[in-house]
Amino acid sequence: MKSIWLVVGAIVLLSAVIAAGIVETVKPRPVELIPTLTQQPEYCLTCHAELEEISAAHPVKTFGCVVCHGGERLALDGDLAHSTMRGGANPSDFSVVEQSCGSEQCHSGSAQDRRDHIQRATTSIQATYAGALANILYTFGAEPDLTARYGISEVKDAQVQTVTGVPGLLTFEAASFNNPFIEQFSQNCTTCHLNAMPAAGEEYDRFSGCSACHTPLKPRETTADGNIHRLTTAMPYTQCNTCHNRGNYDLRTMTFVPRSDHPTDRLRDYYQPIAQFVKCEYTLDCVDCHTRIEAMGDGDLHSSKKDIQYIQCKTCHGTLTELPRTTRLNDENDIAFRMAQLNPVVELKLGDEILMTAKGEPLWNTRVQPDGTFELVGKATGQTFRFRPVMGSGCKQNIDQQASQYCHECHSVER
Amino acid sequence: MRPSFFHHLHPPTIPAPQARLSYTLGAGGMSVFLSLVVGFTGILEAFYYVPTPEKAAASVQTISYLVPFGGLVRSLHYWSAQLLVTMVAVHMLRVFLTGAYASRRRFNHLLGMSLLVGAILLNFTGYVLRWDQGIQWALVVGTNLLKTIPAIGTSLYVAVTGSTELGPLTVLRFYIWHVFGFVLPIVVIFVWHLFRVRRDGGIAVPPPALRTQHERISRSVLVRREVLAAFLTGALLLTLSLIWPAPIAAPMTDVQAATGDARAPWFFLWVQQLLRWGDPFILGVLVPLAILAILGVGPYIVRGTEPADLGRWFPPSGRSLQAVAILLALGVVALTILALLPVP
Repeated sequence: MKSIWLVVGAIVLLSAVIAAGIVETVKPRPVELIPTLTQQPEYCLTCHAELEEISAAHPVKTFGCVVCHGGERLALDGDLAHSTMRGGANPSDFSVVEQSCGSEQCHSGSAQDRRDHIQRATTSIQATYAGALANILYTFGAEPDLTARYGISEVKDAQVQTVTGVPGLLTFEAASFNNPFIEQFSQNCTTCHLNAMPAAGEEYDRFSGCSACHTPLKPRETTADGNIHRLTTAMPYTQCNTCHNRGNYDLRTMTFVPRSDHPTDRLRDYYQPIAQFVKCEYTLDCVDCHTRIEAMGDGDLHSSKKDIQYIQCKTCHGTLTELPRTTRLNDENDIAFRMAQLNPVVELKLGDEILMTAKGEPLWNTRVQPDGTFELVGKATGQTFRFRPVMGSGCKQNIDQQASQYCHECHSVER
Repeated sequence: MRPSFFHHLHPPTIPAPQARLSYTLGAGGMSVFLSLVVGFTGILEAFYYVPTPEKAAASVQTISYLVPFGGLVRSLHYWSAQLLVTMVAVHMLRVFLTGAYASRRRFNHLLGMSLLVGAILLNFTGYVLRWDQGIQWALVVGTNLLKTIPAIGTSLYVAVTGSTELGPLTVLRFYIWHVFGFVLPIVVIFVWHLFRVRRDGGIAVPPPALRTQHERISRSVLVRREVLAAFLTGALLLTLSLIWPAPIAAPMTDVQAATGDARAPWFFLWVQQLLRWGDPFILGVLVPLAILAILGVGPYIVRGTEPADLGRWFPPSGRSLQAVAILLALGVVALTILALLPVP
């Protein structure tokens, strides 16, 4: 054998070694993060360095990625790293929310600490869809009344604490009712609860679970890859509208008739001339008035939205004879401070007086002014609104007719 | 020039016709080289591998992604192991088809066969050490096969896995089997096998009086050929490793569940195919053992190759064992192909 072959062999081997060296050097350098909470090194930032921090309450240096998302923290291969992620891109999906967002220190703590978010949200009417189901089943004669007996999945409540709470819901299985309308409803009209992914279409674009509300997806084009990594308590009304007010159910055909237009003007496009509504409704965001309990439930299973929705005009404006309820913030652990910290549109100080709902929820984005008027700062807009109490105004309403519907008689906006 | 250590490992000269690549296929020599690569890369991996159920898969990820050149070393370990099993099998087939197992070499043939078994056991235990969902099915099914053996099955299972069911001790067991339990006897047999090659007269050739060709090559030529083969094999290993890195999957969650990729490692696919057809003890244990027995004991009971026929392909004497070896090899290949086809 001639020596030349050895030289050729050596060159071939050397080329392979050089190729291996090049491959190793062009690989991205691993970026290590050791979150203070887990103390377990993770390398997600090697690829995801550009991702915006999800929220001020979840700093990446403290939480890292894996404690919420799961996944393989050491793998630098995308497929492997993502293969064990909880809930795919959305760890807040209710099927995995307990592992992702739970634990006593986080969102499945006690009701006293107001950290029972998961227990409340998963039993809320927005998650169980019990209200819509009860209505449909009653309407088509499958149930004798409007009491909820079915939910999207089976759920029990061992401690019913309210008058309207029900002890449990069975899984809604349309076929068991042997009614074509109910089956059609099941096929066409069950994309608007928190367990479901939305119907196709940009106007319905939202995640499931907590992120359905807390991760507003618009506008997606503001991020480089169209992915939005954000958790917020400043939900704009557009996020609520991905489920609410997106079209109409046609009860004759049991189909959802989606809106065919792209609303741009809130007043003109969402509020129809025949409806009764006031200025607050289209100038404020939904979350400016509607509270945590209303949106996320009170821990009980209810039969109707009416059982849980309790904010009235008088909550902020009071009545002819009473000023609205207020509370003075004398405790630095008051939940109002926690909520204001999560969405710092107002700077609450000890000693501030804010409005409070009938159930004792602080309206932390409001403040009583020295002159007896009130100020509200929009949670999503940061816009400041001033308003007066009814008491002392020229309101001519009967004293015993102080529910919102009576206010609407005079204060409705004409369209 | 005084011969170096590596030259001394070879006889001063060897017969030229039997030193050709077309005769040896280079399979034995390549197996030696691959053994060295697999051993060296294995030692490097052992610096980082953690044989506990919680950390095993994570440490494989650490090796694969975070240790500098770790992924390359792991892939080299993987590919050299796969090529090693292949080359040892090719070497054995070559020995059968050239009649080189005969007479005084039949004991060394037994040693060689135990090395093949050893290479497969090492490959399987190494595969299990990944401790991820990709190996889970094969681990559960493979170890359950042991339980089907009458009388000693359960004890054997405990010896292999560390307990009556797969659990926290299993990964340590497999690790110790992999790095000591199988490696140490294999190193001894490996050296013994090479020693016996020399002791049995080097490569099989007819006695001097019966030879038609008398040309010989010096060991320096042989060493040069071996070095060239090592260069090229090294380049092949690097290329394979760069293009197809060693497989890896998400860590196991429940070791006792036969979930994940329901496919045996490639060298056991033929056994997996047999298992689809009936009794696991007969098809999964007895049949493979019977094949080993036939190939091992065959040279002791069948009248072997005549001395004049040695040193060439398909010698006329000893055709029966050649036929058996070909049939078994074809059978294993056919079963492997069947196993790869989608299950109807």
